[in-house]
Amino acid sequence: MNVFGFKISPSSAIDMDKVDRARFEELCRVEPDAVRCMACGSCSATCPASAFSGMSIRKVLLMLQRGKEKDAFRMMRNCMLCGKCTMVCPRGINTRHLILSICRIYDDKEGKQ
Amino acid sequence: MREIYLSGYNNFVLPFMLGMLFVLTWCIVGAVRIILQLPHQDRKAFFLSLVNPKIMARNIRDWFCDCLFHVKLWKRNKMLGYMHSSIAFGWFMIIVIGHIEVFLYTPERVHQIWYPIFFRYFVAVTDSTMKGSFFFFLMDFFLLMILSGIILAIIKRVRSRMFGMRRTTRASITDLIGLYSLWSIFPLRLLAEGFTADISGGSFLTKSLNWVLHSFLSDQMNMLPTWWAYSIALGVFMCILPFSRYMHIPAEILLIPLRNAGIHVSHARKGFAKLQVYSCPGCGVCIDACPMGTVKSNIKDTTVYLNRQIKRYNEKRIEEISDKCLLCGKCTAVCPVGVEGDKMRIAQRSIRKYNISPDYSNIDINQGNLSKNIFVSTSNNVVSKNKNERVIYFAGCMTALTPSISKSMTQILEKCGIDYSFMDKDGGICCGRPMWMAGRFDQAKQMIEKNTEIITKSGADILLLSCPICYKIFKERYRLEGIEILHHTEYIERLVKEGILTLEKSGSSYVFHDPCELGRGCGIYDQPRKVISGLGNLVEASQNGKESICCGGSLGSLTLGFDKRKTMTENALHNLTIADPDVIVTACPLCRSTFNRYSDRPVKDIAEIVEEQYRKRVNI
Amino acid sequence: MKEIIVIIGGGIAGLEAASQLLKLGYSPIIVEKSDHLGGHVSRWNKLFPDMTPAQDLLSELIMSSKDANIFLNTAISSMNRLKDSYNIMLSNGISIITKYILITTGFRLFDASKKEEYGYGVYDQVITNADLEHWFNNGNDGRIDNSQMNAIGFVHCVGSRDEKARNTQCSKVCCITAIKQAIELKERFPDAQIYCFYMDLRLFGKKFEDFYIKAQKDFGIHFIRGRVSEVSENIEGKVIVKAEDTLAGKPIKVTLDLLVLMSGMVCNPDSTRTAGMMALPIDSDGFLKSSDNVFHITSSPKQGIYYAGACTGPKTVPETLAEARSAVLEIHSHIIGKE
Repeated sequence: MNVFGFKISPSSAIDMDKVDRARFEELCRVEPDAVRCMACGSCSATCPASAFSGMSIRKVLLMLQRGKEKDAFRMMRNCMLCGKCTMVCPRGINTRHLILSICRIYDDKEGKQ
Repeated sequence: MREIYLSGYNNFVLPFMLGMLFVLTWCIVGAVRIILQLPHQDRKAFFLSLVNPKIMARNIRDWFCDCLFHVKLWKRNKMLGYMHSSIAFGWFMIIVIGHIEVFLYTPERVHQIWYPIFFRYFVAVTDSTMKGSFFFFLMDFFLLMILSGIILAIIKRVRSRMFGMRRTTRASITDLIGLYSLWSIFPLRLLAEGFTADISGGSFLTKSLNWVLHSFLSDQMNMLPTWWAYSIALGVFMCILPFSRYMHIPAEILLIPLRNAGIHVSHARKGFAKLQVYSCPGCGVCIDACPMGTVKSNIKDTTVYLNRQIKRYNEKRIEEISDKCLLCGKCTAVCPVGVEGDKMRIAQRSIRKYNISPDYSNIDINQGNLSKNIFVSTSNNVVSKNKNERVIYFAGCMTALTPSISKSMTQILEKCGIDYSFMDKDGGICCGRPMWMAGRFDQAKQMIEKNTEIITKSGADILLLSCPICYKIFKERYRLEGIEILHHTEYIERLVKEGILTLEKSGSSYVFHDPCELGRGCGIYDQPRKVISGLGNLVEASQNGKESICCGGSLGSLTLGFDKRKTMTENALHNLTIADPDVIVTACPLCRSTFNRYSDRPVKDIAEIVEEQYRKRVNI
Repeated sequence: MKEIIVIIGGGIAGLEAASQLLKLGYSPIIVEKSDHLGGHVSRWNKLFPDMTPAQDLLSELIMSSKDANIFLNTAISSMNRLKDSYNIMLSNGISIITKYILITTGFRLFDASKKEEYGYGVYDQVITNADLEHWFNNGNDGRIDNSQMNAIGFVHCVGSRDEKARNTQCSKVCCITAIKQAIELKERFPDAQIYCFYMDLRLFGKKFEDFYIKAQKDFGIHFIRGRVSEVSENIEGKVIVKAEDTLAGKPIKVTLDLLVLMSGMVCNPDSTRTAGMMALPIDSDGFLKSSDNVFHITSSPKQGIYYAGACTGPKTVPETLAEARSAVLEIHSHIIGKE
């Protein structure tokens, strides 16, 4: 990767016009609290997997809403489902079930294409 | 003795025979299928257990105690115990004595299955001899016993509280048919035998009834319809049995030897799991036990309904029920037949399909602080260092959020001069239990491997844990050769026993909350109580030990949101504060923080109260 | 005859209301549970945004309300409604019959030890905003080591906006209080690095934003957007704070000599108890429920019972004072209207 290059990478910008919201809406039907995140970052700070794969359920939620699914899946790779994020969330989001629901509703393989 | 009918047959036996053949075929086919569905090793273990005299003795004991005498129900409630055992044992004895009579009087009829059942119709025995009156008496006695049980059963339908049950199961249609046919079998038998008693003979019950009946029904022919009715009731009961909760009667007979052979649920729907589903008697003891029952809508999510939905293949409901459960294991603890509600639910979760699967192969345990375990000798002047074991302390993820526990524990270790290393001070890899509870075994196993490597490499002698959730999986699934796995309640108790740590009684009163995973999960009940008794006055909760109530904070539930758990915590707190203790003591970081949120009095971990008291004494 | 008005709570709202009622010629009675007047403000050092000494405000209030009938160390034993008035039994045995009750029971500071992960009461280096004000007042706190002050952290929203702490409301004043206290600490320890961990900075009041700019520009206070999730201790006895710097999208860790928790405002159990006696409604946030949140904040649904100050929700000092005056005016117009 050319770090100092000035090439505009088309994938780095978020284009809300092209975001497919269908699956996120499906996710919200299973876990309606998903939209209640206020991005405080408690979950990411406490997450034991963040040291390994940069896991942050806050960012995963944001990436899914912004159509950056690949980034989300990469972070989720090391999630241990330990539940610390559920414990610290000030909005009471059931993050463990949210993660499991993401694993069921989204498909990693499609993201890789 | 004389046989009344030479043929030894009457058409009325047909409904019974039909039902009998049907149920026998069903059960044999079912048993064979279940045994075939078992994993190879389990099947082998089962067959080997059948020739092991020790296990066979246990099987026989369990068959009698569980299936016939319902010992567990007796312990729960005398009325409930009597109701069940009178019907089960009474019926069993009637069948046994019926067969003995056939063997004694008409051995040539043994091959006619209906003969012992309708013996009084076919054979007239004199009741004037000792032998005759003895059997007549026994038969009447056990029939009376069953009838008393049935009367209680009818009362229980309306007033279950008399039997120590606040709530009972809502019966399904097949259950109702089974129930009514079962209830009618014995009064009809009494009626049939009563009609026949002047010919066949009888005892206090049948003979007396005969007198009453003949005072207004003199026609002998009246007896045939009653025998028909008796046979039809039996036939209906047996035909409906496989589709009703009464399937538990034959299923439990197979469940007991399988369980004693050490077989566990390995597939969500096949083999042992299937047998457990059919062994569920639908008694509903688990409904009152379930901590979620504080919210009325959760009642349909108890184990008895899970089993019912599994029988009906209602996948949507199976998923809802198994995901909601807190996995506290109380339904398993109270179940009279030993259906493992928690394990069944984990198994249901394990067959779910996921498109994204975590993988930990990228985690290098040699990087960062993951496996840098340096044992510092912390021997100080207060207590002489007299143990040369090395302790690796794994506080666990949840303890990271309740630092008071890990701080107290490390202080205790330091004061006792123990060589220890705080393995996950800077974070670590999860023990794998939360993942296991979600039914994702492969992922959990990967974490187990990583942690095993770190711990084995450290060269420790003891693995010390503060979190019962970790403790359970370390005990059950980790293979740590030469390393003793201890929860801190056990370790503190040991330090006290060895005289390294001394306790002093204070005036405070404490109640101990048994965390699900520590108590029911790992059987640790006495050690924390011994320690607390040394610190102050130990009082007990209304329901404790095996029947302690989950705090509601459990990681076991996947779908219960934070706001749905409040009433459960309040209910558990109410149970704990019955004796009005000064402090609620627990031994689990999750219970501690859950209770602390709603409690009106201090909630502390056992390590904290030990350390606090120690600190106070040293400061003086 | 002078109308008697019973004021429950002798904090700044109660005192201001009493002084205004006196001016209007009424006879207020203040019932205060503790042994002193002024409530939370009496333990505070300086008030934002002008750094007014809290004592100055308080002495003025006490001065102007001194003619009121004041019962200290007195609680309400019971209250019941008569035909068009109320009968109040006090714990000292006195009973009062009045047509007007003003509830100024205020708030309670969130018990920071309930947020176990922050280690209040576990680590010596963790204190609350109230502890810090106390230290500003008397300079006496064993937990604050003057010689060792290289890094200080502030955690906003402790027990506010937090379902786990059972308080979902914003406590309103903590953002500005944290900035004020950060500046004050920076003045005392100019070499120390000061970090504020916030979720959102809610600086709505007059001159609040100027205060924020001052903190950034003149005092070099670091603002980190992220809620602290874990606090641990290192061998040297310093605390290590873990959060996510949500703007950088990276986990952040910092070693501190002092960590100040901004305990939020929660409903006062005494308010709830008093409300219970008269069957007054409680809002979903636990505070008392006004009959209307726009037009009638100071009125309760019960005739003759009024509210002022933080008993209906978190308020700043000027807001509380304004509400006290407003409630007095309501009472006054009601009395006038009847005559």
